[in-house]
Amino acid sequence: MATGLTELLDNFVKNHNDRQLLAIPLAVLAVSLVVLLVSFVSSGSPVILGMEFQGGTQISVETTDSSAVLEEMYSSYPLNDVRQAGSRVIMQFGIMDDEQQGQLEKDVMSRYSNVQIQQVGPIYGKDLQAQAIKALIISFIGMAIVVFLLFRTFVPSFAVILSAFSDIVIAAAFMRVVGVELSLGTLAALLMLIGYSVDSDILLTNRILKRRGPVEEKVSRAMHTGITMTTTTLAALVVMYIISTFSYLLIPSFSQITLLSQISIVLIAGLFADILNTWLLNTGILRWYVMKPEFRGRYNR
Amino acid sequence: MSDKKSLFKNIRVIIFTLILLGSIVAIHPGYTPGEGTTSNLNFGLDLEGGSWLQIKLEGALAQIDADSGKLVSGIVEPLIGAPIEITKNDLDVGGSADKSITFTTSASVSASQLESLGTVSVDKLSGNTTQVTISSTSKEALIQAYLSKALDTEVVIISPETGIVYEIRTAVTEEQLETLIENVGGSIVKNEDGTSTYKEGVSSDTRDLTREILNDKLNSLGLKDIPVRTVGEDYILIDFAGIDLAKAKEIAEKPGKFEIRIQTTGNETEHVLYGDSIVSVGIPSFHDEQWHTPFTLNEDGARTLQKVALETGAIDNPEDHYLMMYLDEVEIYGAPLSYSAASKLREGPIYSWEASTGTDETAKTEAEALQIHLRAGALPVNVVLVGSGHVDAGLGEQFKTEALIAGLISLVAVAAVVYFRYKRPEILVPMVGTSFSEVIMILGVASLIGWQLDLASIAGIIASIGTGIDHLVIITDEVLYEGKLPPTKVFQSRIGKAFAIILGAASTNIIAMSPLVVMGFGSLKGFAIITIIGVFIGVVVARPVYGVIIKELLHVGESENGGITE
Repeated sequence: MATGLTELLDNFVKNHNDRQLLAIPLAVLAVSLVVLLVSFVSSGSPVILGMEFQGGTQISVETTDSSAVLEEMYSSYPLNDVRQAGSRVIMQFGIMDDEQQGQLEKDVMSRYSNVQIQQVGPIYGKDLQAQAIKALIISFIGMAIVVFLLFRTFVPSFAVILSAFSDIVIAAAFMRVVGVELSLGTLAALLMLIGYSVDSDILLTNRILKRRGPVEEKVSRAMHTGITMTTTTLAALVVMYIISTFSYLLIPSFSQITLLSQISIVLIAGLFADILNTWLLNTGILRWYVMKPEFRGRYNR
Repeated sequence: MSDKKSLFKNIRVIIFTLILLGSIVAIHPGYTPGEGTTSNLNFGLDLEGGSWLQIKLEGALAQIDADSGKLVSGIVEPLIGAPIEITKNDLDVGGSADKSITFTTSASVSASQLESLGTVSVDKLSGNTTQVTISSTSKEALIQAYLSKALDTEVVIISPETGIVYEIRTAVTEEQLETLIENVGGSIVKNEDGTSTYKEGVSSDTRDLTREILNDKLNSLGLKDIPVRTVGEDYILIDFAGIDLAKAKEIAEKPGKFEIRIQTTGNETEHVLYGDSIVSVGIPSFHDEQWHTPFTLNEDGARTLQKVALETGAIDNPEDHYLMMYLDEVEIYGAPLSYSAASKLREGPIYSWEASTGTDETAKTEAEALQIHLRAGALPVNVVLVGSGHVDAGLGEQFKTEALIAGLISLVAVAAVVYFRYKRPEILVPMVGTSFSEVIMILGVASLIGWQLDLASIAGIIASIGTGIDHLVIITDEVLYEGKLPPTKVFQSRIGKAFAIILGAASTNIIAMSPLVVMGFGSLKGFAIITIIGVFIGVVVARPVYGVIIKELLHVGESENGGITE
């Protein structure tokens, strides 16, 4: 799989000029930005905010009752959503006062087994929102500074940072389109993506700027390594996604692990975006840069 | 076979082996028939079962300036019920010498009414004018007294380097505070950059004090090892392992804000002290035909109680000045000072007290409840519940098993990809082996520092293993740049190049995670810390050894096969 993909990508890169290479990832980035913008204008937030950021209560129980039964049973509470996931039903409630909250918790715990409850107050949710934005921005700036310190030249550093930015934007747009909420887990995934994303970009930039040899060959060798890196990670994530999401279909006593399932699906989307961004966007910019006449082929021998 | 020898003489390999063995010892895996596997690993609530509560401390911090004359008017006028006229005021003059303020009024004033402001002297001037001088006071003390009175709460002065900050120990919005201070000709001070110094929350000292008190409280209820942690600036997180959410809330709701107030006139009461002035609480006993709950006050508490008793006149007339006890603003006890206590207070403060509840069985129960309440009442600030969670133990067990299975199969999947790419077991085995050792080392560190592994930490392990494999691929490809193993000299420089890339990537990774560690995002903090530990172990301990081992193995392989064709 890895080899096939590498060859395909390698040929594509060899047979297209820099402008053509940039067109595809930039188009995807543009579409993603539009998705986030439209969402922001229509709902006030670029991504769907999960319970942790909005305040509310999520209760998941093991039951053979259908979701309709539970919806009926808890209709006197501010029940927003009921979802069935294998042997479990997940209910989302709005904000309640302490008394109602306590009553609901007691009722659920006396009636069902293997209960999971998460409750976040609206004040804390607001606080988390602000912190999440701060964390993402600080992480990103920190990453950008390290990248600049590593390469000390503007264009190559900028290309790496742009790719990382694009990875996150595309992953976030994916979340919005597919309906994955921003939770603490998916926030962690977006931050992880910063780390994963720059790995292959640093490899590529390092090989091209600091190694001898024809650019074309250096790109294709870097691609061999880079795609192997990404596929190993993807393999691990796909397994994690399948097990945390669908294992209950095989083993009925198992449950969905929402946290791991969400983290892995966002990372999978982000890593696919990363393949695009590293090997088309970053490569395109870098190849244009090192072939500029003023370097007189310094990086191409 | 000199290769094998040199491998075990290599200092990196020795360190790696020692740390790996140390980790296994730290994890201490074991198997007891009937009980299943055991280890030293601590698991978080979402894997072990239990519940957690997150609470917010209510309060506000602000730097405040006010007109000292208006302040005195604002405090004194409502007390004496008549307007005053400031005649002399040196509070705004610099220097820390003994400062005083003098005012005249038509109403009669008793010194004890104003005692909390400073040293008071009252002189009767001609006609019905009274002249009052308050000395050894300061503007800060007046602001503190004013806010404390106006908001009916404790106000504490803290003096960090940037200026004097008032900590108001109840929820008050910036607008409310601004209005209150405007009434005394003042305002909330602005920072140099024009932003307000008002900040919701409490000082870190108060927060830590609250945490300590909660900690003691929960432990004294017989709940050992309930960790109470501060999260971010204003939050406290309490983990209740193995206790369900309803029970946890019940327990947490017990510690409340305990306060003793004294009746002033009619139904009016005045604050005397909070639960933190209570040093110890004894066991209820029956003597003098009454049930009693003994308790001891600290120096401050005893002196305040004496002072307030003198000021309010409770010493002369105990029956009109009941001492009331409140737990979370609800009255739980009320009684007058005994005559013996009243006369003793005239001489000096009393440290040991007894609250009597009556003669019958109900009184006994009441005395016992009072004992718990006196103990439970210690939080200096109001708290609100802002978040909670619960996982049944059975579900946690499922999560644990599933996460383990997911981890193992993930590793197999990675191994498959690596094998497919290189088709050489002498690369596959060290690569998977290195990754696996990295997991063991992370777990070793986790059990050594007593870290609670929750689902987020497991995600962190997966994240660092993910980048770990990436880095091993970089090393491998760098070493085999021309498809075969280069001579030692070239090999060293290749390894160097590989590490240049890896260190760059690892440092971005660590930098990207660090805001989460500092900001303290609840469970994400664990994720970030574990990721950073993992990346660090990987770069410093495990990956250098992979470089050494792969060289030896490929070297052996090559001399046996007589070269590689690829």
